[in-house]
Amino acid sequence: MNIPPVEPGTVGPCPVAPDALQGIKRQQTNPARWNGAGWQDFVAALRSAGVELTEGRAACGAYVTDAGGTAYGQPHGVVIAHSAGEVAALLRTAQAHRVPVTVRGGGLTTEGEAVAYGGVLLDMTGMSRVLAIDAAALTVRVEAGIYWHSLAEELRREKLDYLSAPLNLTSSVGGTLGVGGIDVNSARLGCSADQALSLQVVTPTGEIVECSDTENAELFQRVILGYGQFGVITEATLRIRRYTPLSMHYYYYSSLATAIEDLQMLDRNDASDYSGILTIMDCAVNLLVAFDSDEREAAFRRDWEARLRGHGEFGFALCMLGHYALRPWKAGEALYLLKRKQAVFPEFRRPEYMRDGKMHDRSVVFSRAVWKHWGSRNMVIPDLATPADRFVAAVERGNAVCRKFFPHYTLYCVGIKLRPEHRPHYEMSCVPPDAEGWAYGCEFEPMIEGEVYSRDHFQAFKNAIYDIGVDLGASYYRFGGMMKGYIRRVFGDALVDRHLAMKRKADPAMILNRDVIF
Amino acid sequence: MFAAAPLDHACCSGCSLCRLVCPMWRQHRDPRFSPEGLAKARQCGATAAELTAPLEACSLCGACDPVCPEGIDLYAMVMELRRDLSPALPYRQALDALQAKFALAAAAAEAPAAGAQFLPGPALRAHPVLLARVKALLGYACAADDGADIALALETGGEISPARRRRFLDRLSGRTLAVGDGLLLRQLRQWLPGARLQSLGEALASLTTIRRRLASTDFYVIEPRAYHADYERLVAYYDRLQVETGCALNLDLQRIAIPALRQALPRLAAPLADADATQARWMLQGRRPQRIVVESLADRAAFERVCDIPVLHLAELAQD
Repeated sequence: MNIPPVEPGTVGPCPVAPDALQGIKRQQTNPARWNGAGWQDFVAALRSAGVELTEGRAACGAYVTDAGGTAYGQPHGVVIAHSAGEVAALLRTAQAHRVPVTVRGGGLTTEGEAVAYGGVLLDMTGMSRVLAIDAAALTVRVEAGIYWHSLAEELRREKLDYLSAPLNLTSSVGGTLGVGGIDVNSARLGCSADQALSLQVVTPTGEIVECSDTENAELFQRVILGYGQFGVITEATLRIRRYTPLSMHYYYYSSLATAIEDLQMLDRNDASDYSGILTIMDCAVNLLVAFDSDEREAAFRRDWEARLRGHGEFGFALCMLGHYALRPWKAGEALYLLKRKQAVFPEFRRPEYMRDGKMHDRSVVFSRAVWKHWGSRNMVIPDLATPADRFVAAVERGNAVCRKFFPHYTLYCVGIKLRPEHRPHYEMSCVPPDAEGWAYGCEFEPMIEGEVYSRDHFQAFKNAIYDIGVDLGASYYRFGGMMKGYIRRVFGDALVDRHLAMKRKADPAMILNRDVIF
Repeated sequence: MFAAAPLDHACCSGCSLCRLVCPMWRQHRDPRFSPEGLAKARQCGATAAELTAPLEACSLCGACDPVCPEGIDLYAMVMELRRDLSPALPYRQALDALQAKFALAAAAAEAPAAGAQFLPGPALRAHPVLLARVKALLGYACAADDGADIALALETGGEISPARRRRFLDRLSGRTLAVGDGLLLRQLRQWLPGARLQSLGEALASLTTIRRRLASTDFYVIEPRAYHADYERLVAYYDRLQVETGCALNLDLQRIAIPALRQALPRLAAPLADADATQARWMLQGRRPQRIVVESLADRAAFERVCDIPVLHLAELAQD
């Protein structure tokens, strides 16, 4: 097809012939926009209840999309949360007027879950303070809109740290507790949501309720990993720990399956404090292992390191040299690998974050690297979560899908230790129902590298990954947007209908985050 | 082929990393009060007038630029919007009068002698004893024309006549310069790419006589505008300073300098209010320093308001 060049700032002729897309199955990416019925009455009622709502493009523009950058929508108005009382007033009024409310923390969803298609956008980052640190009991009470990074900033002044959080500085605590949260220490500590001891929740009908494993336990079970369906988390008490820098080790593999087997071996034997896999290419797989203490590191060196089948950086470089010397036609691949190494590796070794060979502030180092080298305006990251025994198959099949759709991509694999006492939280979540001991998650992230792909291309890619999940009886981390079509296929009608009945009971007008799951 | 477009607000992907370091976001906890909010509003067609409140609230600390993974020139975005907004500011006349006063003083300045120059800025000029100490420590001549009017114009979005700019730069070209105003320093890096430029803080902290007096119980406050304008180099510089002296720095976990002040544009010339010092109070939260050492006199005023431990300007370390 000959597409004529178009001057910047002008709109050229549509290059797609009117019949070009016939026969291609279309799927709606954005949910339908709420029609705005009764909006003005709702706004008046809300303002008389003392809740500030802002409208207009300067207020709504910041929320037009999420980190995924493929789903777009605008709310009719924005409420920035300042207190649980204000959130309660908002939800009560929204129930009465049947106005949808979409809750947003860091906005790091990738399927449009944090995008409002009309109605109210409730921005929780207005509630982002540390309320109390108990250094003796090792707990912290926070407002739920706080970014993990902001929490880390305040904890570090007391030589403390959070237990586990997504490798992203702008994830919010409330958002993470609502979906799970995976860190490179999840194979040891469980998902980030497992560190929550108690929550203050505003129910969809506007009651402010404290809940925990022992108080209003049913609400606690539904809200943790509940994808925002059963309430808005306004405060959380979290377990924390003493801060320690960590020592990192990297092992390189040319086989994805071997690296995963070694990762699972380390996890089963509690051989490291942190573990995960990041791939650079199919033939260059990085197993990351890290430790909080010299003792744990020494034990690993003594008992487990020799069992790993990966190489150190130098040894792997020699292997690659041999590999490409015998395959000169793959020089482009070798060049990409080299460029990627030169760009990314220094990021993990910045001198201001290293002291005596140990990495300080790992979340900053990882998150900055993630945004700098993997981030883009479109972050398309379908994922699969499986029991341990099906993980290699899931990753290899997902990897083959990536290869089909994109020239370069990264896989991020990590284990999640399951806590038997938290099994009720895990129902209809990213944790596969039949997983025992550990679940394993893999994100498949194409490198966009400045290219422009159509949303159809992204969607076809995601569907191909998600189809693997259906086939293998897996689960998924990201449930919103395009994933909705998969929820019944994965979990079955009986479970989904049971949750839907609970949702209808808790949220009679179905106003809260209604485009995410049901 | 088309030339690559400069990275501007259109490239903002909404990662929110700039919010984490933005003092006005910390104050307001409202995304409109952040570079991301400004960029997103611009993407939706908002004008400078619609963004008046955040544009006035921005302290131009420049913390957002080094953390932006897209490499968007967020500082330039704010400056451009401020220039658009500037003529409509209700207090524009007062700013123009102040700028004219500075310009008048500059016009009367004699041509400087050869050699390294020190551009103190009006805040340091108001403290003659400290100014004399800085001059003695650095051994640089103090420029009679230190571009105070230009610095104010940069800050407020005011106009700088080409003739005035040329006269100012002609006198500085080819010299070693220590610059007291972080905003002016950032601009001079663009205008005088060949010059050897240092902030006043860096110039003083590099002196052995001062560095050896920094202690592990000190809380050292870096002037953020100059620091973020040359971030990659200065991260390494201050990291060495921290390792050598053991003092705590006003750097967050991303090694971004937390500003002690978040004085909004309308209050630029006004005395420091309690609200302006909230940030300084927060900076000290969880810290127990025995002394605070500042690079900027404005920061000294902020800390003196919120704590009762000694607050010293860097130059005062060499007093004894």
